[in-house]
Amino acid sequence: MPVYLTPNAIAAINSGDANSKPLVQVLEIKLIGNSQDRYRLLLSDSVSTQHAMLATQLNDRVKSGRVQKGSIVQLIDYICSTVQNRKIIVVLNMETIIPDCEIIGNPKLLMQSDSTSQKSSSANKPEQPAIPDNRHLATTSCSNSAPKPGNKMPSFRPTVQPPYRPPPNYKNHGPIAKNDAPARIIPISALNPYQGRWAIKARVTAKGDLRRYNNAKGDGKVFSFDLLDSDGGEIRVTCFNAVVDRFYDAIEVGKVYLISKGNLKPAQKNFNHLKNEWEIFLESSSTVELCPDEDGSIPKQQFSFKPINEIESSENNSIIDVIGIVESVNPSVPILRKNGMETQRRILNLKDGSNRSVELTLWGELCNKQGRELQQMVESGVFPVLAVKAAKVNNFSGKSIGTISATQLFINPDCPEAYGLRDWFDRGGKNTASQSISRDIMPGCPRNEVRKTVSQIKDEGLGRADKPDWVTVKATVSFIKTDNFCYTACPLMIGDRQCSKKVTRSGNARWQCDRCTQEFEECDYRYLLQAQVQDHTGLTWVTAFQESGEEILGCSAKELYLLKYEEQDDVRFGEVIRRSLFSEYLFRLKIKEEMYGEEQRVKITVVKAEKLNYSAESRFLLDLISRITC
Amino acid sequence: MDTSNPAVLVNGELLRMYVGRKVRTVIQVLQSNGGITTGKSTDEHQLVIKGSPPPFPLTNFVEVIGVADSNQSICAERWTNFGNTFDTFSYNQLCQLANGEYKSLFL
Repeated sequence: MPVYLTPNAIAAINSGDANSKPLVQVLEIKLIGNSQDRYRLLLSDSVSTQHAMLATQLNDRVKSGRVQKGSIVQLIDYICSTVQNRKIIVVLNMETIIPDCEIIGNPKLLMQSDSTSQKSSSANKPEQPAIPDNRHLATTSCSNSAPKPGNKMPSFRPTVQPPYRPPPNYKNHGPIAKNDAPARIIPISALNPYQGRWAIKARVTAKGDLRRYNNAKGDGKVFSFDLLDSDGGEIRVTCFNAVVDRFYDAIEVGKVYLISKGNLKPAQKNFNHLKNEWEIFLESSSTVELCPDEDGSIPKQQFSFKPINEIESSENNSIIDVIGIVESVNPSVPILRKNGMETQRRILNLKDGSNRSVELTLWGELCNKQGRELQQMVESGVFPVLAVKAAKVNNFSGKSIGTISATQLFINPDCPEAYGLRDWFDRGGKNTASQSISRDIMPGCPRNEVRKTVSQIKDEGLGRADKPDWVTVKATVSFIKTDNFCYTACPLMIGDRQCSKKVTRSGNARWQCDRCTQEFEECDYRYLLQAQVQDHTGLTWVTAFQESGEEILGCSAKELYLLKYEEQDDVRFGEVIRRSLFSEYLFRLKIKEEMYGEEQRVKITVVKAEKLNYSAESRFLLDLISRITC
Repeated sequence: MDTSNPAVLVNGELLRMYVGRKVRTVIQVLQSNGGITTGKSTDEHQLVIKGSPPPFPLTNFVEVIGVADSNQSICAERWTNFGNTFDTFSYNQLCQLANGEYKSLFL
């Protein structure tokens, strides 16, 4: 069937037109991107061509063959963006007019630079007015489409062809007025970095804590929240520094907001588990408006629950939703995190109709609020339904799940899955034994602990990989280096943590911290202890900082500093050191190879030192022996 | 170390296998008067320890080395205080290992 393509459509789009709904032909389809499928099309108006990206919600059209090489399509929603100095059309919606057609005209790749595109478009249609008006120009534009001589002349013009107005030549007419009309609301799934103006209407399903960080650029703060819209699209929004102050208090979980003018960046998949390849970064120009009159078309929360028996085969670190009956809740215990901060941990057991149960580890604040509530319910004989949004699967012992910062807990939620589960439990599920997919905790040994001997550190080349190795070693302190056992530290608080950076004496005998850029009369003293530890296999140097240093020496670095340098009591100093030798400890070690000048050296840091608990250690060894037997 | 007359690690249950032999065990002291001390073994059997206790006061847990007199009594030769807290579970497991699969490792 002969057909006309919209003349000069490519030039018009390149100049900013987004309303003419042109008819174009697809010359090429290419799959690009690696994280998620994305199609790039080469579109032709029979004279010029231009690359276009297909919004992912249109991927189906390509996959199902409704859009293929040669298809004549009408662009319905589209914009033109400049990406890395190249113009690209982003197609948000389109219709296939003719699924398969021979190549029309003799299209050439349009020149990329702005001026040439302007030139070529005006050269092609000199008789067209440069100033936009609303006249129907169907006839003129039709005659404009005269292809190069010798080309097959299309002889049919489809009725769907919209009127086309040539683009105004903005460059020659001074600054143009900004389009201040509110951006159209689009589905979250249609968001992409190639469109400038957009708005989304979505419900906040989760709000992260305000986090502070310190890196090479200085101190900063960040927070994120997750959005869900009425089409089920979800995306994370992140704010930094000054933008945090603007929006942190305004954002409330459960409320619906209109959000526009943000930056789209690829989602950080290691922190962001949402089903979206993009993440929104809000800027100072972004707007976030509360929608007070929302109608409930956006669900409060979107779950995709996984039965517990399927968690068994889930990949490590995958993020899942799960719902189950809480069978038991352990008390909350303090745990030292890898960064030296203390946090809370609470383990509970969930079971469901798949006749499996799983251990859920709550971390941090969740242990207190909901953890305590769950414990009280279970202790009083009520077994609540717990829906867990975004928990992480881990392999530590069998398969278990743990909370992450984005995790949300819903006790006895109002959803059909919860009622189904309750019904199952009350009708007999309560009395059925379910098999745990999480192995029982080894006695006297925290889960995920890797026990090594001193010689294994070297023999197995620990610390040589990209990430540090974390191991536990049972060893005896055999030597402590007594000079430079501590350093002068900044006593100021940054948020809820002490700065602790090394401070130096400034000219006026006061102490000065470069990070805090402040001076003070007295500094703090913190351990930087070099010690040798040994077990039955060998000996190694380790470095212990503040808390582990105190555990080993039994007094603070300041006390010991004053004893040695102020009181100069070498006898008592020697006693303190000797008293600390030849005690057995469980050392939690961080092992990492680092560069010291030209030399690679494996650095072993004591993250935690614990006096050996012989009873717990005996049980640990008995457990090991029983494993040898079987 | 004198290995000529080793003492077998036992709990209450294992004691019966070594009547007339030298044994060692840990008990929780229940009562002690004169030459008779009664105690609880790590596997919850009641044992009688004959012989005069040492001149120092006994702690809650005591190790006794002596000759097995009967199924449930030992003539004590040596007493050692093991303190007021003791992991009876681990000790009991040890006794079982020392008389089971890993017997060859023990004297």
